[in-house]
Amino acid sequence: MIYLSQMLGKPVVDATGTEIGTISDVAIATGEIFPRVTSLAFQGPDKTPFMLSWRKYVDDFDAEQVQLNVAGPDLRFSYLQPDEVLLHRDLLNQQIVDTQGMKVVRVNDLKLSESRNQLRLLGAEVGIRGILRGVHPALERVAARLFGKSLRENLIAWNYMDLLDRDLSHVQLSVTHKRLHELHPADVADIMEQLSATQRAKVFDHLENSQAADAISELEDEFQADVIDDLGNQRASDILELMDPDDAADIIGDLPYDKAETLLRLMGVGEARAIRSLLGYKEKTAGGIMTPEVTTVAEEMTVAQVIEHLRHEAAEHESIYYIYVIEGDRHLAGVISLRDLIMSAPETPVADILSRDVIKVLADEDQEDVAETMSKYDLLALPVVDETGRLLGIVTVDDALEVMEEESAEDLELATGRRAGAGMRGVWQWVSRDGWLPVWAVLFLVAAGLESMLVDTDMTGLIIVAAFPALIVMRLAEDFASHAMARVIEDEDEDGRPSLARRLVTDGLSGLAIGAVVGLLAAAVMGVLLGAVSDKAVVRSLEGGAIIGGAFGISILLVAIAATLAGELAERRSRAGKRVSSTTMSVGLMIVGAVSFIGLYNISFRFLARFLLFDL
Amino acid sequence: MTAAKTSSRKRGRFVLLLSVLGPGLIAASAGNDSGGISTYSVAGADFGYATLWMIFVMTFSLVVVQETAARMGAVTGKGFAALIRERFGVRLTLFAMLALLASNAATSVAEFAGIAASTELFGISKYISVPVVALVVWLLVIRGSYRNVEKIFLALSAVFISYIFAAVLAKPDWATVAKATVVPQFIGSRDFVMLVIATVGTTIAPWMQFFVQSNIVDKGVTVKDLVIRRIDVVFGAITANVIAWFIIVTTATVLHPAGIRVTDAAQAATALVPAAGAYAQTLFAVGLFSASVLAATVLPLTAAYAICEAFGWEAGLDRSWSEAPMFNSIYTFVIVFGALVIMLPNLNLIAIMVFSQAVNGVLLPFLLIFMIRIVNDRRIMGRYTNGRIYNALSWGTILVVIGLTVALVVMTALGWG
Repeated sequence: MIYLSQMLGKPVVDATGTEIGTISDVAIATGEIFPRVTSLAFQGPDKTPFMLSWRKYVDDFDAEQVQLNVAGPDLRFSYLQPDEVLLHRDLLNQQIVDTQGMKVVRVNDLKLSESRNQLRLLGAEVGIRGILRGVHPALERVAARLFGKSLRENLIAWNYMDLLDRDLSHVQLSVTHKRLHELHPADVADIMEQLSATQRAKVFDHLENSQAADAISELEDEFQADVIDDLGNQRASDILELMDPDDAADIIGDLPYDKAETLLRLMGVGEARAIRSLLGYKEKTAGGIMTPEVTTVAEEMTVAQVIEHLRHEAAEHESIYYIYVIEGDRHLAGVISLRDLIMSAPETPVADILSRDVIKVLADEDQEDVAETMSKYDLLALPVVDETGRLLGIVTVDDALEVMEEESAEDLELATGRRAGAGMRGVWQWVSRDGWLPVWAVLFLVAAGLESMLVDTDMTGLIIVAAFPALIVMRLAEDFASHAMARVIEDEDEDGRPSLARRLVTDGLSGLAIGAVVGLLAAAVMGVLLGAVSDKAVVRSLEGGAIIGGAFGISILLVAIAATLAGELAERRSRAGKRVSSTTMSVGLMIVGAVSFIGLYNISFRFLARFLLFDL
Repeated sequence: MTAAKTSSRKRGRFVLLLSVLGPGLIAASAGNDSGGISTYSVAGADFGYATLWMIFVMTFSLVVVQETAARMGAVTGKGFAALIRERFGVRLTLFAMLALLASNAATSVAEFAGIAASTELFGISKYISVPVVALVVWLLVIRGSYRNVEKIFLALSAVFISYIFAAVLAKPDWATVAKATVVPQFIGSRDFVMLVIATVGTTIAPWMQFFVQSNIVDKGVTVKDLVIRRIDVVFGAITANVIAWFIIVTTATVLHPAGIRVTDAAQAATALVPAAGAYAQTLFAVGLFSASVLAATVLPLTAAYAICEAFGWEAGLDRSWSEAPMFNSIYTFVIVFGALVIMLPNLNLIAIMVFSQAVNGVLLPFLLIFMIRIVNDRRIMGRYTNGRIYNALSWGTILVVIGLTVALVVMTALGWG
């Protein structure tokens, strides 16, 4: 194994043993799974750049030098080929897409493997090891010895990489070029969300319209309008045309009026009309999530005619599992399922297999009720009608699934107070969520201030300062509480879960670990602070640090244990069908945390003051 | 900044115009933070009009540097930290990011010093105000709601415009002032050299360049929209420096002849007495507090985003601690560090504010060298590289600050001045 960072700057020696330059880069031929190194770029005297063929001239190489097989004057230099990529210039330090881990990362080093006389690129190192090695190889060795196995290599194989900035490298990556395209649109969307506006635009340039349309449909709502807005008008409208009308309408509804009008005008008449008709409905209602692309037939047709009709008219419709029968002015008369259609003889009239009892919703029905109806009747699509019974469109199962996901996320938020996903909900959200922290802070400070007035000491400031860390314990306590609450809500299987005793041990251990880390940190910080305050610095800082650290460690451990017990209790109550209040749980745990921290802190300070001649 | 990004597109033209006066104005106003106010006040009180020419020259440097940052963002679509990494590799990036972190941590200390000083003017102990504000700032940052609050603080910090009235009402000798603005003066004392470095460091704080560039990138500004961004940065730079200039004129006219040396915020506030009378302290305290909080919320995020961008770590306000541990640790560290230092008893807050700006000044040239090397690289910038005047001004700033730093070190070592 050789890393690119080790090769750069190493000498290039010709057949006579003379050093003719230092390695500045190596090029690989793209198009293989593990591409070969094809060219060697080096810097000759006076920083002159040279390039030569690896296959022809490289005789031997190791981590220390590259040995050429001819003498300097006999070398014939070459140029970078169109299918070649320079590892240092084009890959090292650049951002790439990890198409396996679905995220954007930076290349910290490149790993090559030697087999006989060939050098092949294995992949990109994107972890902390690569950074350390880049700073200095010795640093990596020291860190590896200190942390052992936990400091693993984070390697992305070449075939799971995709370059973001193709324009800069001017190369076509035949293997990798396919990668982003091969991904599922939902994964492409995930990656897009991690990029800057410019980079997103670049990736879109490389996607075909249909792939772009799929990816945009999968993007989070907040990005969709931005992305469309950044594309050129013609391309944006082409892409919107390819999307399902309900998705397209969602995006257009979020665009400024002028832009929306321009895009609609550039579209085909049919698509524009479909989108415009949807724009009139409110969000979060059946009308807002339906698509107008419905397969409709007349009652007079035969089964054969209907199938023929489907082949011609409905090829692009989102859902054809149900065929709706209309009469007059698009009045919904009945429904036939695809199954009935296929099972019936071709000449059967539609009227014979028609089911007139259609389950349908009104356009202004709440989307949650729509989703519930669909799941109750196990429907793949649900027709939406107006007050007179005219068929307006259908809600398909994928939209219903999305609604359920949204609503369940909202429910979980309500229960745990945790926010799912991004976005800001303003100051109020924050006040209701974390506003208690400043309130507690003020309460503590008042209490500490009162105490320092009553107990005459000259370390008032210190006492007040030290009352403050209790908030950290309380914040942790709250996190423990929501963790326990989330468990209650997810309600895992009874059998799959470890016993209470076992969980007490594991949770206790993790509490101990967190407590130890926080305690040590607090001890160090307090030690420094106290050291700066006092003349008898050493004694006081060590003792003060130990007290704060110990108080932290023990109180966090207590909170962890209390959280496990409270969680167990809550689960039992919830299984018994009783309501569990998450507020009670978190307030309870916070009080446990605060009381144990402040109690421990005060007791130990007083103990020290009295018995160890430690004058406060 | 991506997560909290709200599209300004939905709003009307007028708001659009306001949002145009965006990152440049915010960066420059936040640049007139506690460190700025105290540095300018001390400069005027201790040395009269002797540093006015610095402000004049620095306006050009600030415009050039900010415009360069905006242009790099628009042309490359990448942040400053990403460009440093891609152009200079891991080792130099580590150095640049340590410099940025040190500068941001020092500035964060100054912001909390400003918070402590301003609340003490209202009689609130710093042991109460600093932790409470630190917590509020941390929550504002983590909730991403700081954008709502940002505008309020930006508006409140505009009370420093009252320095313009104070300067006029103090009736300085305008001829002397004008002469001092254009004719450079130099006083061979250590205090003066350090104050000059601090003035540079507070006017062109390193974090401002990262902030402006990443804002341009986030908004997806391209080269065609660059004109309007240029107006923003030039306007912001000039506004900020005009106010700085008036602060020095005011303090130099009111405090310097009276022999008052600014050692605490109350003394700095007396400079506003000609304009605000009995309300001078309140006015000063409100302005100082707002500017400090504004900068204290922007700073930690700038550091966290830049460093994560450089090393390819997950970043974003919507990422949890386990998803983006480095991002969360960095901004928490910057806030906690600033607050903890100020919690030490018996601090001279004004001296701390000035000193932190001197740290900025010393670190600035190194980051500017990265900037100027990148902006002149044709492979990165295409035809948008710097012109001669730009390069001359940038190199001028770099060399002068390095020269001053060396001079300060030599003077300290030899015990001169």
